[in-house]
Amino acid sequence: MHAVRNLRLCTKDCVCLFVCPTGATDTETGQIDFEKCLDGCRRCVDACPSHAISLVMDNYPARPAKDKAVADALLNFMEQKHREEALAKALAASASTPARAKVAKALAASLRILAEDGAREAGYMIPQSTESKAFLEKLLAQRPSVAGKQFPEAELKELLSLL
Amino acid sequence: MEYSPGPILSNLAKALEKQYRPHEAELLWKVAGYFDDALPAPEFTDFTSLVKMLTANEAEYLEPIRQAAASTEAKAADRGALRAATWGGKVNAIQKSLADRYAKKGDELVEGKKLFVCEACGFMFLGDQAPDICPVCKAPALRFATVA
Repeated sequence: MHAVRNLRLCTKDCVCLFVCPTGATDTETGQIDFEKCLDGCRRCVDACPSHAISLVMDNYPARPAKDKAVADALLNFMEQKHREEALAKALAASASTPARAKVAKALAASLRILAEDGAREAGYMIPQSTESKAFLEKLLAQRPSVAGKQFPEAELKELLSLL
Repeated sequence: MEYSPGPILSNLAKALEKQYRPHEAELLWKVAGYFDDALPAPEFTDFTSLVKMLTANEAEYLEPIRQAAASTEAKAADRGALRAATWGGKVNAIQKSLADRYAKKGDELVEGKKLFVCEACGFMFLGDQAPDICPVCKAPALRFATVA
């Protein structure tokens, strides 16, 4: 586990600099140097007066398995929201006025968030989970075609090697 | 693929951002982007068609989630799925209301106003500034995206 700084909450009291034994909290980017950060040390987390530092996991626990009927219902919902998103995007692309495009774009964004929420609760919450990795492996094996685009094979392979 | 990869992938990319793994997130956004326009443009492109779809969702897509997720044993109930159906039901109603009002009133509905979308739950707000707290998921104002 290494520490991360939430830059929105950080009040620049810099107490984390006083307590860090490796200097990992003092960087030009404002973010903690993950390479220098000691696994699970958490001195900066406890010292921060603004509660702006937290620990992120290197390994995430397996989540409770999803019931198939629940996962299917959620994925059906996701699929429907995605179809509606496609319609909203088409409405935005063909809009005759800026106001019409604005409404369609906002709807498309909102519809995508609901589709994502369906995916998240259906078992694709964490990229490192067995379900997510199996999904990515399947994607790599099947390489679904999309007109006019080249399948991002290198990116997907690198991602799988890092997860 | 049995289901559309797009929303699954963009959801996972957002998860990587929250895990502070920017390189992995960038890779996943690239893979997700491949599927951006994977769905064919629908046959009917008008707001009324969208309103019809949104109207049917409560019975056809949300109630099945609630029924599958609810259980007589509290321990066995999938409360995460019930949460998604609760937020999803409220946001779906807002989407329907906005699409319906726009279909009836046209541009006049939004002129001089901004549209805000909660990035956590999808809640939509039409007005001058984002609400202090999202009424659906309680996320703060800074989680609202402004659609220009």
